[in-house]
Amino acid sequence: MTITIRVNDTEQSVAAPGDTPLLWVLRDWLGLKGTKFGCGIGQCGACTVHIDGEAKRSCITPVSKVAGGDAAVTTIEGLADGDDLHPVQEAWVEHNVPQCGYCQSGQIMSAVALLNQETNPDDERINEFMSGNLCRCGTYPRIHAAIRSVADGGGS
Amino acid sequence: MSDVSRRELFRLGATGSGALVLGMVLPGCAAPRGREPSTAGAWAPNAWLEIAPDRGVVFTLDRVEMGQGTVTGITTLVAEDLDVAPENIEVVFAPVGDAYINPQYGLQVTGGSSSVRISWDRVREAGARVRAVLLASAAEVFQKPVDSLTTNDGYVLHPDGIQRLAYGELLGLAARQTMPEEVTLRRPEDYRYIGRQNQRLDARAKVTGQARFGIDVELDGMRYAVVARPPVIGARLVSFDDAKVRQLPGVIDVLAIERGVAVVAESYWQALTARDELAIEWDESDAVKVTRDSVFRQYRQAADDSAGDTERSEGNAARALAETDNVLEAEYEAPFLAHATMEPQNATAMVTANGLEVWAPTQGPDMARIAAARTSGYSPESITIHTTFLGGGFGRRLTQEYVEEVAAIASQRGEPVKLVWSREDDIQHDVFRPAMLHRFRGALSNGRISAWDHQVTGPLIFDWFARNAAPAQYPWAPQMVYSTLASMGRMTEDTFLTPKDRSAIEGAVDVPYTVPDLWVRHTHSDAGVPVSYWRSVGHSHNGFAVETFMDELAHRAGEDPVQFRLRHLADSPRHQAVLERAAEAAGWGDPLPEGRARGVALHRSFGTYVAQVVEASITDGAIRVQRVTCAADCGQMVNPDIVRMQLEGGILFGLTAALYGDVDWDDDGRLKQSNFHNYTLMRHDETPELNIVLMDNAEAPQGVGEPGTPPAIPALGNALFGVTGKRQRRTPFRADSGDA
Repeated sequence: MTITIRVNDTEQSVAAPGDTPLLWVLRDWLGLKGTKFGCGIGQCGACTVHIDGEAKRSCITPVSKVAGGDAAVTTIEGLADGDDLHPVQEAWVEHNVPQCGYCQSGQIMSAVALLNQETNPDDERINEFMSGNLCRCGTYPRIHAAIRSVADGGGS
Repeated sequence: MSDVSRRELFRLGATGSGALVLGMVLPGCAAPRGREPSTAGAWAPNAWLEIAPDRGVVFTLDRVEMGQGTVTGITTLVAEDLDVAPENIEVVFAPVGDAYINPQYGLQVTGGSSSVRISWDRVREAGARVRAVLLASAAEVFQKPVDSLTTNDGYVLHPDGIQRLAYGELLGLAARQTMPEEVTLRRPEDYRYIGRQNQRLDARAKVTGQARFGIDVELDGMRYAVVARPPVIGARLVSFDDAKVRQLPGVIDVLAIERGVAVVAESYWQALTARDELAIEWDESDAVKVTRDSVFRQYRQAADDSAGDTERSEGNAARALAETDNVLEAEYEAPFLAHATMEPQNATAMVTANGLEVWAPTQGPDMARIAAARTSGYSPESITIHTTFLGGGFGRRLTQEYVEEVAAIASQRGEPVKLVWSREDDIQHDVFRPAMLHRFRGALSNGRISAWDHQVTGPLIFDWFARNAAPAQYPWAPQMVYSTLASMGRMTEDTFLTPKDRSAIEGAVDVPYTVPDLWVRHTHSDAGVPVSYWRSVGHSHNGFAVETFMDELAHRAGEDPVQFRLRHLADSPRHQAVLERAAEAAGWGDPLPEGRARGVALHRSFGTYVAQVVEASITDGAIRVQRVTCAADCGQMVNPDIVRMQLEGGILFGLTAALYGDVDWDDDGRLKQSNFHNYTLMRHDETPELNIVLMDNAEAPQGVGEPGTPPAIPALGNALFGVTGKRQRRTPFRADSGDA
């Protein structure tokens, strides 16, 4: 069955079963490998993308839910403007956040969604919002500092 | 697929001029002295370097990148003595090759926090030799003495300060020069990059989603596979009914492999959901059905029955303990732990006209090659291993079962196959950090430890690791002798043929405290649970046990735990220094809010001295860690911010084990943990404030990936003792229990 979805401002047609999680459609049908598989049950946040600007776990979102082209899906690949990184990505580089880097697409997508919602979240709000994204390398303190720097206007 | 198109396909990372490009380009046969270049007109003077007129410097990185920073750190080493800025060097991951063997292990292993330590001389010398030859070549062109020339970021400079030659312009001449035997490395006061480079070269690729991990490998016509593995350790496949599965959409094949039943489908999701419909009969007659409790019962029995092998003995601890009344005894339990790398295990393989190609996020490409040979029937020389970025390693990717599985499936199918383990597969079929039992007896005399007896009980990791490690050292051996080589490896452990397995005792035999009668012993007991290396290996449990017992002795002696340790470190100035530094930075002894306490621990591992002070409380019935102060002495630093990152990560890895790490089975031998909802990792909101203090000295560079982990566990336990007055003698720690 052919499904139309809008990803990073481009309409795409994919012949995927409707119950396929959006994660696998992005990765295996559309070749957008930046969105990662971590747990498959919405526990780790590695697969976080934006659906109409909100952070969603693509591993538990059936592709049928975003079918039709009304919902706008944004992935890590859609964040930078050509060679110009998004301010949150800039802050991530500036603070040397990534170690293995596997969870960072999801971390960044969550952070961008948070900062789109509220420009100046306090520590508690950052803690609350970011605690759905696991990192085994232990980059949380740097993630926190990077978000703070953007929230305080120091990220770009 | 042609080599060119494959190269395009597997180029990794950001592109564009000046940007780092990480590729899985085969640099050709790795001979120590020069090799065939991968592109026409290029010069490949050694196993690590290739310079092309149009491509610049390509560095073959022989230690994999799993977050610990080899892409940046080792590239910085070659950059320093070749004199090319690290960001102007293209990095490719090494194939299997003799030149890339880690001399510490005799295998092409990335582990043991050894990458900087083993590369410090050999990679810098490789860069320095090439620079010397480029200088000599430029001297011929300029008709000037070599001594009058200098270099700067890829150019040789004429003494007139105007003329210069790019390295790429000198390749023809350079290729005819003889490599100098002796080279001088750049002096520390002249370093341009070592100690100064603080950015990560892979950061941009990792914040844009462009970094390519094993799970991201994509091949034309690729199929996806999942494997149904035994539900209990050691169960064997009897039969399976795939009639229903074969009717499901997208399913291509169902086939038996050594480890279970593989489902191959057009997409991963179809393969994964189809697997649930398989009806499989397993023979559990030889299955290993254990629980955490049964394993520790077995260890206690073994420890009662056998004093074990003496691993270190000074004076006569047994007699000294028998002759005194003031003996403190304590027993500690460290459980099995899963690695839980964020990237689940995976691998991709493809049969080609010449053999088998495998792409794998692996810490041991040579062992991966043996693993692939074992199950595909191809000989190691006809197998090519491509290494990718690793989404975490922590020792997990030293064991190669995912390569064995994918090689079996792809060779049977004859088409490209990517195997992906689900998170449930990854946790339930992990090779665990071994559970270990520690028994101590200690005696005090005039406030000093007069006798120390530490009995470590548990398995040896090499018994489980020899399977692919031993044959990897004999890649020419036929596959039929692999098991013989593995058994020989195990039997010759601790002889001239096979190094001693220190995994049970490291961190125990090297206890730094001065004690006149000291005995450290190991009682071997293996419960049949597959085990492996886990970040900091033996130090992870010995650090916990030794540093908790030290705290208990300090308490018994009625002395401050920092002072008590210092009193036993008269001969260990670097231990002393980090401990004093950490205590000072943490405000040791300063008043704390009600309900909060500090705990301290000191542990040297992988050459690096680390002291930590943890501040913790029990709030609303849960353990809370407010702050960790960490002082570390790792000698010279290549990249100080990566050192900091590794210590931060190591601490949180240790705290995760202390707070949550546990693996257990039900009475039928089924593992209880399966995913992150019940194998818990620390989250963002639980993260303490981390204060890392780095000692500045000119000592030889040491490991940083693992040493942050061991002291975090006992430092937290010792802090909790300060809060509750109860000892935490087993991990994970419990807010509501402990021993009085």
